[in-house]
Amino acid sequence: MIQAMNLTKRFNGLLAVDDLSLEVREGEVFGFLGPNGAGKTTTMRMLSALIAPTSGTALVNGHQIGTESQAVRASVGLLTETPGLYPRLNAEHNLGLFAKLHGVDDVDGQVRRYLTLLDLWTRRHDPVGSFSKGMQQKLAIARALLHEPLVLFLDEPTSALDPEAARVVRDFIETLKGRGRTIFICTHNLNEADRLCDRGGVIRQRLIRVDTPQALRQGLYGQSVLVRLQQPAPGLETTIAGLPFVSSVSAVEGGLRIALEDPEIHNPDLVRTLVEAGAAVQFVEREAHSLEQVYFDLMRESEAPETEVTA
Amino acid sequence: MNESRVQAIITKEWLDMGKNKMVLIMMALLPVILVAMILGTAWLMQRTPEADFDPNTGSSGMALPAELAELGAKTGTMVLINDQYMFYLLLIPMALPVYIAAYSIIGEKETRSLEPLLATPITTAELLTGKIIAAVVPAVVLAWLSYLLTAAGMILVASPIIVAYMVRPVWTLSMALHGPLFALLSTACGVIASSRLNDARAAQQITALFIVPVIGLSMAVLMGRVYINLNLLLWATAVLVLVNVGVLWLAVRLFRRETILTRWK
Ligand SMILES: Nc1ncnc2c1ncn2[C@@H]1O[C@H](COP(=O)(O)OP(=O)(O)OP(=O)(O)O)[C@@H](O)[C@H]1O
Ligand SMILES: [Mg+2]
Repeated sequence: MIQAMNLTKRFNGLLAVDDLSLEVREGEVFGFLGPNGAGKTTTMRMLSALIAPTSGTALVNGHQIGTESQAVRASVGLLTETPGLYPRLNAEHNLGLFAKLHGVDDVDGQVRRYLTLLDLWTRRHDPVGSFSKGMQQKLAIARALLHEPLVLFLDEPTSALDPEAARVVRDFIETLKGRGRTIFICTHNLNEADRLCDRGGVIRQRLIRVDTPQALRQGLYGQSVLVRLQQPAPGLETTIAGLPFVSSVSAVEGGLRIALEDPEIHNPDLVRTLVEAGAAVQFVEREAHSLEQVYFDLMRESEAPETEVTA
Repeated sequence: MNESRVQAIITKEWLDMGKNKMVLIMMALLPVILVAMILGTAWLMQRTPEADFDPNTGSSGMALPAELAELGAKTGTMVLINDQYMFYLLLIPMALPVYIAAYSIIGEKETRSLEPLLATPITTAELLTGKIIAAVVPAVVLAWLSYLLTAAGMILVASPIIVAYMVRPVWTLSMALHGPLFALLSTACGVIASSRLNDARAAQQITALFIVPVIGLSMAVLMGRVYINLNLLLWATAVLVLVNVGVLWLAVRLFRRETILTRWK
């Protein structure tokens, strides 16, 4: 669906995106993570044929950016960083303009459909400037969907919203999943990426890593369980470390952290061994690394090559 | 060029214009002031005694060009002053579009609405055409309306000969031809200035440069140095067409998709 090949963008010598190659599959929700100024918006603008790459190219919906930019634009929907609505015009007119620009057959029907879907139908005659941020954001998403694009780009869809409005928007995005639509989301909200995305990419000028949220976590930490003990049991560590499926054991406050291949298969054996060795087991819990932690670790990892690039 | 997309832009511009009080007031103010001024002056002069217009002894006397001398001092002077005012009516299509265009383009910058707009299949030419038409048409219509209104009012306040001179071919043709040409020129300047300079006032100042020759010509007319005739009209049209082509070419060249997108912050 989206295939970026060595995309590079410089702004007067400033390297915004560096040699980015990436593939997003049909029907996939892809999260694009990275700090401020990492080049997320720039990448999205290149992929939606708004700005030309300095070098490299991309295929979006089978159309090449640059040479078939109009076809690319016709087949993608873009939610920009700021909603960019016309505040003096009402909701209906804001959407109507875009439906017409996209050559939608049934302009009124499509506008009604999305206004209804997003609970904005009763406010359709009000100037958009009077809408709350959440309502404006919903309207802006609707605007990107009017022509039923196969690829949807969402640039920080929930970042300017309060938690309540963010949830409404997030829930709506969730309903867009799984209809064959490919969705590419830029976000700073890692929990959001965790919840919405099938795969994610971490970028900082260069693409640092691409994987499923779970694999991103596992790749960094492996799988581990925390065992809480009533009292510390000396010698236990060596016994456990001797088990074939355990890769490491370390003592932590109130118990042990045990890294093992697959907790679901090996936990029963692990617990039996612990009990037989005389350990007073209180809890066994899966250690959950939030994607946030993964993100920070990746960022730290990427510091070193980063300085080389700019040097 | 996809007409329905151009139409969509025009519709949007006019809807927005209708809700923008600043622009509406600006658009109404100039025509109302000019029409009132022209009719008021004619009304006053009509009621001034003939003797006051004597070029040598009268307080309102002026040297008349040969073409107007035969009308007599009073009528000749009224025609002369009215001729000068007709230039001011031509300022309507020149002054209004620059406001409309600057507002429509700088408005897009302020609301950050340009990026979603450019993400649709619209071409730069379509967007520009829509914006230019949306600015030119109301300005020209207002100029023509002001001209008609002045002529109608003149029937009430002045003698028929003044009206006849006001609607003689040089002026009707000038309104018909120069009105749109001025409007187009001014819109193109508005587009250039606001896509380049990031400032509506700069756009207005550039347009002011074009007003100077028009005012200069109107002064020459008033001082009896030049008498407006068809020959002059054709020359002015030719010059205007050339300037228009040049400025429009520049506007289209400067209005680059990526530049306006990345520089319009
Ligand atoms: N039009 C432009 N002209 C010059 N530099 C630009 C332009 N647009 C972006 N940049 C620079 O390119 C880099 C990447 O910007 P970009 O907006 O893509 O980052 P981002 O990942 O979207 O950041 P954020 O999370 O803040 O939105 C930044 O250093 C930015 O200053
Ligand atoms: Mg961004």
